[in-house]
Amino acid sequence: MRLVNRAASVDVDPFTLEIVKNTLVAIGDEMFYALERTSKSPIIYEVLDYACGLTDAEGQLITQGNGVTGFLGTLTFAVKDAIEKFARKGLLEPGDMIITNDPYGGGGTHLSDVALVMPIFYDSQVVAYSANKAHWTEVGGKDPGSWTTDSTEVYQEGLQFPCVKLFKAGQVIDSMVDLIAANVRMPDMTLGDMWAQVAALRVGERRLSEVLGKYGKDMVVTCMGRLLDQGEQLARLELSKLPKGVYEAEDFIDDDGIGNGPFPVRVKVTITDDEFICDFTGTHSQVPGPVNCTCTGLESGLRSILKALVGPNTPTNEGVFRPLRVICPPRTIFTAERPAAVSTYWETMEYVTDLVWKALAPVVPGRLTAGHFLSVCGVVVAGNHPDTGELFLLVEPQAGGWGAGIDKDGENGLVCVGDGETYIIPVEVTETRHGILVDQYALNTSGGGAGKYRGGRGLVRDYRIIGDEAYLTATFGRHKFLPWGMAEGKQGSQNAVHILHKDGRPPVVFGKTARYRLVKDEVARLITGAGGGWGNPMERPVRLVVDDVRNEYISIDEAEADYGVVLEPGTLKVLGLTVEREALKK
Amino acid sequence: MRIATDIGGTFTDLVYLDEKTGRVGFAKVDTTPPNFEAGVINTIGKAGIDPREVDFFVHGTTVIINALTERKGAKTALITTKGFRDVLEIGRGNRPDLYNFYYRKPKPFVPRYLRFEIEERINYKGEVLKPLKEEEIHRAIQRLRAEGVEAVAICFLHSYVNPAHERRCAEIVRAEWPEVALTVSHEITREWREYERTSTAVLNSYVMPTARQYIDRLAERLEHLGVGRSRYIMQSNGGTTSFQQARHSQIQMVESGPVAGIFGASVVGRLLDEKNVIALDIGGTTVKCSLIENFEMKVTTEYKIEWTREFAGYPIKIPVVDIVEIGAGGGSIAWIDAAGSLHVGPQSAGAVPGPVCYSRGGTSATVTDANLVAGRINPNYFLGGEIKADIAKAQEAIGHLAERLGVTTDEAALGIIRLANANMVNALKLVSVRRGHDPRDFALVAFGGGGSMHAMALARELRVKKVVIPVAPAVFSAWGMLMTDLRYDVIQTSIRRADQFSPEDANALWRELEAEAAKHYVNERIRPEQVVFSRFADMRYLGQEHTVKVPVPTVKLDEALLEETRVRFHQLHEQSYTFRLESPIEYVNFHLTAFGTVSKPELVKLTTRGVAAREAMKGIRKVHFDQEGWQEAVIYERSKLAAGATLTGPAVVEEPAASTVVFPGQRLTVDDYGNLIIELGV
Repeated sequence: MRLVNRAASVDVDPFTLEIVKNTLVAIGDEMFYALERTSKSPIIYEVLDYACGLTDAEGQLITQGNGVTGFLGTLTFAVKDAIEKFARKGLLEPGDMIITNDPYGGGGTHLSDVALVMPIFYDSQVVAYSANKAHWTEVGGKDPGSWTTDSTEVYQEGLQFPCVKLFKAGQVIDSMVDLIAANVRMPDMTLGDMWAQVAALRVGERRLSEVLGKYGKDMVVTCMGRLLDQGEQLARLELSKLPKGVYEAEDFIDDDGIGNGPFPVRVKVTITDDEFICDFTGTHSQVPGPVNCTCTGLESGLRSILKALVGPNTPTNEGVFRPLRVICPPRTIFTAERPAAVSTYWETMEYVTDLVWKALAPVVPGRLTAGHFLSVCGVVVAGNHPDTGELFLLVEPQAGGWGAGIDKDGENGLVCVGDGETYIIPVEVTETRHGILVDQYALNTSGGGAGKYRGGRGLVRDYRIIGDEAYLTATFGRHKFLPWGMAEGKQGSQNAVHILHKDGRPPVVFGKTARYRLVKDEVARLITGAGGGWGNPMERPVRLVVDDVRNEYISIDEAEADYGVVLEPGTLKVLGLTVEREALKK
Repeated sequence: MRIATDIGGTFTDLVYLDEKTGRVGFAKVDTTPPNFEAGVINTIGKAGIDPREVDFFVHGTTVIINALTERKGAKTALITTKGFRDVLEIGRGNRPDLYNFYYRKPKPFVPRYLRFEIEERINYKGEVLKPLKEEEIHRAIQRLRAEGVEAVAICFLHSYVNPAHERRCAEIVRAEWPEVALTVSHEITREWREYERTSTAVLNSYVMPTARQYIDRLAERLEHLGVGRSRYIMQSNGGTTSFQQARHSQIQMVESGPVAGIFGASVVGRLLDEKNVIALDIGGTTVKCSLIENFEMKVTTEYKIEWTREFAGYPIKIPVVDIVEIGAGGGSIAWIDAAGSLHVGPQSAGAVPGPVCYSRGGTSATVTDANLVAGRINPNYFLGGEIKADIAKAQEAIGHLAERLGVTTDEAALGIIRLANANMVNALKLVSVRRGHDPRDFALVAFGGGGSMHAMALARELRVKKVVIPVAPAVFSAWGMLMTDLRYDVIQTSIRRADQFSPEDANALWRELEAEAAKHYVNERIRPEQVVFSRFADMRYLGQEHTVKVPVPTVKLDEALLEETRVRFHQLHEQSYTFRLESPIEYVNFHLTAFGTVSKPELVKLTTRGVAAREAMKGIRKVHFDQEGWQEAVIYERSKLAAGATLTGPAVVEEPAASTVVFPGQRLTVDDYGNLIIELGV
């Protein structure tokens, strides 16, 4: 295949092209690494809830280093906003940096996700932008940790940065720093994250300037164009292998955290020769609670599933996403507008990905599994460390059960689709840092997800409060509408929080809560669900059923009820098959 | 006589040094799986040395890593804290392959039914919350024996701060079941993070029986031959340990071979008084590089096996020389993707079928084929003439790629080399620039079969001023082993705020670690005056996770020295991460390195001197030098170059298993020891 040379300004030999391309990709990685290593908050260095990248002068994404799927392609919108507001009016100079977190435009999602953008100049012209976006542990707002499950408008959710300058000509604007420090609960941590983002942007600027110095502007710009074209070419090639047609799916979002719901969500996916069209018409309108997702989240959720379909290891750049077309009416739960509360938008963004996934799983087996626990199962525990009396904030996602595939069981205890290279914080670190006691961290073997291939197990993690009191905020979606099974596989099980009170009343069970008060020796049990099964459980080989019982992934009763295999307790000798299983054999 | 043997995937190498004559010699035989010790014995035979004259034997082995990657270890069980048996299976829950919605997690080395929970609990301060329920251990042992378990790992929460329960549990297991292979987590690692520590303990047990059998068989064969009183095994931390000690902490040998080359580069650095060195090892399938600063190798405990960008891998929290490895080397295959982009690697043609020019059935063009087409390799002196390289076949294979790219065969060959070099440059940047170092402050020591062929182009790109090609670069790892000391690292996690850390606290802590190291060396029969300590503290700003390794003076500490350490921390933090903070500082880990120094051979200088380089000339060949194009290069035979000889590129210096390509204008000098020193004149 010959290269398609579109709008090339200089002649490039194929080798120099590859070398410059690889170097650009390496810059994205290097920025990512710089941010991880300098961050002060666990949500960044453990959860890797951030992304770094470069765009061209028009804001088209050239390369992106990701820690989670969620930020895929959102940097581009932040840069485009900065271009509109500053570059077009000639208001940018070298060393400037822009800060933005506007959820309704400019690549914003919720206020906690803060983007920084830096123009890269060469010969006094902007040739590219260095950008990154990270989840700040604290941006102020009504609740510690900023995100919450019961806000009703964005003004309760923290400090807003409406695409403004943070640096001017290489100098930080001190008033901005003072303003941030005054509006957040843990200024040290928040500003630490900000400086880490600044350091990463500078790494991007420095490296790209070196490349520009070495190869010249024309060459680098040409290579950027090629990178995008080749990304598009690869995506279209893969897309052409998918079965053409129209595929639909429907699901329900549990509730909005303040008593409304469930909310139906729908998609119609049309795959043509050169387009991948997702139409969300029929989806519920925006809601009072903070589960609203805005256009950026919708786009980002779709880009994730598109990448999973066209090949997880295709490069991450704007070209790859060119075949994508989105149709969604305004003011739905996927396209909310100001001043809708958006604090826990990710719960709904995961549904964007999951809906398309559900529509296509039957026709793209081997790349997509049955439904998984889906929710980030985000938790905030705020309290005082029993040793130092200092305020602590534990902010973290949970891992859960993944769906089975056409030739594999589901994975046990893996972070959800919205997370990625996200590390669950070790028990020993949690206990030291927060003075909480973890009673158990184990697989959740309470059932669900039976199938010829079995859904993966979720987890149970118990937090016992050691200080006088602590407050729990949690958002566990798929508490009411469970992970879906495929091809006669059974559905998975629910995500839930159980509160074990000291007074002996039965556990209080819910999916979402805000600032739930716990006192000394009370336990918050965080439970994530099993993924969906694939295929009829009665077809699961007896040997594997016995193994599952031996390993206590399933109980001896489930072996009989779900799989039709009757075992002798203790020895696990096969005593026989149930009538249902025998019937199926015939 | 000292000998070092190094088992590789294809060959087992031996290097010997006769201290009486100063003679250095080599031998190479095929590696002999599964009885690897046979290959070691064979090399001794092939080298033609008298085994009874060997008084120092050091060995690098791949037996451990093979047992792990081929899943050929023992049936292993885990004993852990109640409520936490699934920690090993959950891991950290991460999905490195973000957009792969069909990801497969690493399978645990111990299945769930062999993971046993014991009631006990210690908190992060080391306080016992629940006493150890000993009767549960007895029950577990009975069931494990009934299951036919061969190896056991014990890991309890917070054992890094208080190992009492682990110790007691181990006592019980050893008393009741002395023959089982047992690992107790705190004996291998005393760092926090339960999954990583559990994984380390489990993998150590998993390989223990295999490793012991191997060491015992090798010891027996060596004994039979009459080889050496002092027998050592290379460990991953860049030092050695005795055979006896290696029977207890097997997992320390996991990177036994590869680190020896890095260590060798640090020895060369000392010899030439180059305190900052980038070590570069280019083999057939991988390129490895590592940074040596102030004569010291970098050692970390963030090591994982089978880790890739697409797979979470398995952590082993032991000190391992910090090596960046990429899939690139002589065997790396050049290919064109669906969008028409040319790539080199990471797939490799390996030794079989190998590059096209080997004529062993390989059909995909590799970097070696490109080097051959570009004239950089002598087809008649390939592997010392053992293989006749087929240049026509190489040209044909590269020609196919060239056609698809619309360029000439020569251009394609050069393009493949340039791309391979660019990949290697990125790896070199990973260990240098990315960590805040400027390559211009470093000398590049290049070895492995391909090191000397690519080094000059890489150095030019990174603007390194000096390149060193050591003697016999193709067996340099084994050479490095000859120069090693014993080494023992103790790393203790202990979270301390610097402003509340008194000189008394510090001295007590270091004394404790030093006492432990001293005890270790008593068992190794090393005298106290032979033991040399280095201290490092892993420090960070309060609230950060990642730490900076800060050297700590090896004397009695006072307030001034602690302040000096804090100042060093700020400096090093800024160097690595571009900024410093006003925040309080925290100590996380205390890392003591104890070297058991042994006498090392005197390196012998070349006896020839004052002979002009032209005496070593053996011809002229057309070689392609990238930007400089095809040039008439002078070809030299390395063994005939005398000390002090100088030559200027374009030139190629050939030896049996390596070629040193000197670009036009670059000046090469042979030093007194026979190293080739290339000044780049930047």
